[in-house]
Amino acid sequence: MTGVVVVIIIAILVALGFGLIGMVKGGKQGSDKMFKSLVIRVSLSVLLFVLVMFAGYMGWITPNAVMVDAPIVQTPVQK
Amino acid sequence: MSEQEYYVPHGTYWPIIGSIGISTLFVGFANQMHGVEWGGSVMALGLAITVFMMFGWFGQVVSESTSGMYSKQVDRSFRWGMSWFIFSEVMFFAAFFGALFYARQMSVPWLGGADNNLYTPDLWNAFSASWHQMAFLAPGTELASGTVMSFPEVPATGIATATPADVVDPWGLPALNTALLLASGVTLTFAHHALRAGHRNQIVGWLVATIALGVAFLGFQIMEYSHAYHDGLKLTSGIYGSTFYMLTGFHGFHVTVGVIMLTVILYRVQKGHFNADNHFGFEGVAWYWHFVDVVWLGLFVFVYWL
Repeated sequence: MTGVVVVIIIAILVALGFGLIGMVKGGKQGSDKMFKSLVIRVSLSVLLFVLVMFAGYMGWITPNAVMVDAPIVQTPVQK
Repeated sequence: MSEQEYYVPHGTYWPIIGSIGISTLFVGFANQMHGVEWGGSVMALGLAITVFMMFGWFGQVVSESTSGMYSKQVDRSFRWGMSWFIFSEVMFFAAFFGALFYARQMSVPWLGGADNNLYTPDLWNAFSASWHQMAFLAPGTELASGTVMSFPEVPATGIATATPADVVDPWGLPALNTALLLASGVTLTFAHHALRAGHRNQIVGWLVATIALGVAFLGFQIMEYSHAYHDGLKLTSGIYGSTFYMLTGFHGFHVTVGVIMLTVILYRVQKGHFNADNHFGFEGVAWYWHFVDVVWLGLFVFVYWL
């Protein structure tokens, strides 16, 4: 699930990047490119939000759970 | 000015006024943080000079633009200037997200003995590596939310320990705030579309909605901070507390700047400064807002959820 979320985030960043390229380019062509890219970025963002909330609701992801399974040293305090 | 002519900026006093304003602001801020009596007054003076500079300098650029002084070459220089500003912003947030990633995935597990078998209890009494550390909450402490700290394995040294999930619940205000910012991205896209189609009244309506959503986000963020702080999550609450406030704090500051920029653009739209083919000021601010929106989405996913 985490992989899917990360892939969508990368796609959002790519769309945002294309929007930036369009903005720097300017003119009719650049303006069109910027607008289309930003529409894609907004759509993907809404999709990601819905997906994350649904995954949380279904229990597929747990808030801040990443460290739970990490090795933790539990050794008695040295007296 | 012809297309071929290289643009040479005219002489202006605004940069030095800006430098004086920002320097005064930070001298005041630093002294305020150290409890110096005059810190607050100097800070206010610095802010006033900075705001004065912004009105003066930005107003001059706008009047030069509307009086037709700018060629296509100048337009290109503005676009490149914006792109470098954005590059610095991306690097700024990349550094903080990088700090979050490094602390969580690498340094904290290492301190916990992962990979290198370091004997961490020698570093600090009964240190246990956990992303969840919130320092200085003794076992038995009851949070304002009703959660009671109970970690019998923690010795009387009182280090550690609630989970951020006890304090920062992604289902409450964070989810609402994410929905608000995403909605603002949608309304801004409608405003952008209306501008390209030449429908001025619609642009104004959608821009007002975008600004209102941004202000609502900031209001709820203040509430969220108040809850978190009273529940014991502070800048000093271990690495999670530090990265949480650093990232969300700077993001909130950027939303504030974005709201100011959108308000200026709203004023300019009403004044008729833009048309369907020529509206770089709008494009620059719109992209900035989308960027701030995406940063929040990253925060929501990586700080609150994953």
